[in-house]
Amino acid sequence: MNANSFAIVGTNRLARELHALCKAKGLRSSHHAEPDSADTSAVLAMETLPGTEAEKRRNLERLEAKLSPSAVIVSSCLGFSATRIGSWTSRPERVVGFATFYPVEEKKVIEITAGLRTREEFIGRTEEFFRQLGKDAVRVKDAPGLVFPRILSLIINEAVRSLDEGVAAAEEIDAALRLGTNYPQGPLRWADQAGLDEVLTVLEGLREETGDDRYRPSPLLKKLVLAGRLGECSGEGFYPYDKPR
Amino acid sequence: MTIDQSLIGVIGAGTMGAGIAQVAAQAGFETRVYDVSQEFVDRGLARIRSFIQGSKDRGKMTSEEAEGVLGRLKGTLDLAELGAARLIIEAAPEKLELKRDIFQRLEASAEHDTLLATNTSSLSVTAIAAATKTPERVLGMHFFNPPPLMGLVEVIQGDQTSPATMEAGVEIVRRMKKTPVRAKDTPGFVVNRIARPFYNEALRILEDGDVTVETVDRIMKEAGKFRMGPFELMDLIGNDINFAATESLYRAFFHDPRFRPSPIQHRMFLAGHLGRKTGQGFYKYERK
Repeated sequence: MNANSFAIVGTNRLARELHALCKAKGLRSSHHAEPDSADTSAVLAMETLPGTEAEKRRNLERLEAKLSPSAVIVSSCLGFSATRIGSWTSRPERVVGFATFYPVEEKKVIEITAGLRTREEFIGRTEEFFRQLGKDAVRVKDAPGLVFPRILSLIINEAVRSLDEGVAAAEEIDAALRLGTNYPQGPLRWADQAGLDEVLTVLEGLREETGDDRYRPSPLLKKLVLAGRLGECSGEGFYPYDKPR
Repeated sequence: MTIDQSLIGVIGAGTMGAGIAQVAAQAGFETRVYDVSQEFVDRGLARIRSFIQGSKDRGKMTSEEAEGVLGRLKGTLDLAELGAARLIIEAAPEKLELKRDIFQRLEASAEHDTLLATNTSSLSVTAIAAATKTPERVLGMHFFNPPPLMGLVEVIQGDQTSPATMEAGVEIVRRMKKTPVRAKDTPGFVVNRIARPFYNEALRILEDGDVTVETVDRIMKEAGKFRMGPFELMDLIGNDINFAATESLYRAFFHDPRFRPSPIQHRMFLAGHLGRKTGQGFYKYERK
């Protein structure tokens, strides 16, 4: 290998954005929709693959089969702890979790986490990778959704419940949170940007991991995801968009 | 006596009452602020005068404008002086029986078509309106603290509030140069309910351990673009007030785990670590 190369695996906006960011920073990166096509020479593979536990597990197995044994696997832990993701692989020591919502461009900080069997060496290499992307990797405790996606998903869940119960209209809910408590954007608009499926993933992951009913997703959120109304990326969520982004 | 369309009455000259009165007077309404003692009335008016003086000093208001605002404001100990108002906004302490009593007296002293609003943040508008014989003219108008600076007013429809009352309430809020948001009478209305996880889930993450308040605050600001982190904001609001708001929602939702209060915050409240105002909260502050 003449230069370290990085593989970004996933089809969502976040994967596309991360790949573009690597390019902009002059890093050698490749983007793969499927884990089977991942660059075998990559020193670090970052995956944002969606799916149920069985699907994500299968994807991790396929990814692991393509990578060299020393490559870091930086796995999106929106819906599963890094420890759980590591448990699906034969080398959990190289699995590092990260969690964020689209977009990452403007974010100074990226949250990462170590599973119970993750080795420090791989954490260090992940921190270095994010440093090259101009991001400060901040380490937090291993849990689905880590800190920001977890807190925002609960706010969004409560906003969707309020909407579903007819407490107020979508535009009014968003205006209220912007003006009443200075949020940078309303929670429903924010959900459209992050992707309703990603928000649902965090809520379901927390509910599964903790067994606590406080995380139960709003029925409306589930229906919107089933109906394919995922937000900006599908062209419609709580608000309509000109075209899928 | 008929309604004076330019007159607004405010019940209570505390922080919220005085702030709401200031907003009304600045928007051009003749404003009467009622409280139970001359001392409370004077203190409220002094608070407004000092705010207006500050605006003048910072060049945000001319002397003429300031005189106009103060000229339109009057304190009173007599409810009858509010009787002809287009709207009376109650901003008394958050006690249901007290508010129900006030609304019964307002019903007796005000014109039959005066709108009666409560600025409650945690009680049911429907429960307050039910103390009157005319609940259709009772609505919620939830201002945010401090009212002169916060642009939002939640206009709350109680179960018996008429559509005409809601329309008129929304219109007056617009004339007060605030943004009205309509919401049904449900616990916490919109903002206090939906913003609850910002505090509560941050506290849960702190309970989970292995993380500092500084780290959580930094992540919420730099990964999340919030203007303040949850722990900084709780210290600003006060851990007593924030804890009470959570507890009230938890009770109102009949112990739904979504609103379960945090033992950490409860302990801080009991210890008197209320935040900036006591010099110690999640962070330490220099006492002024």
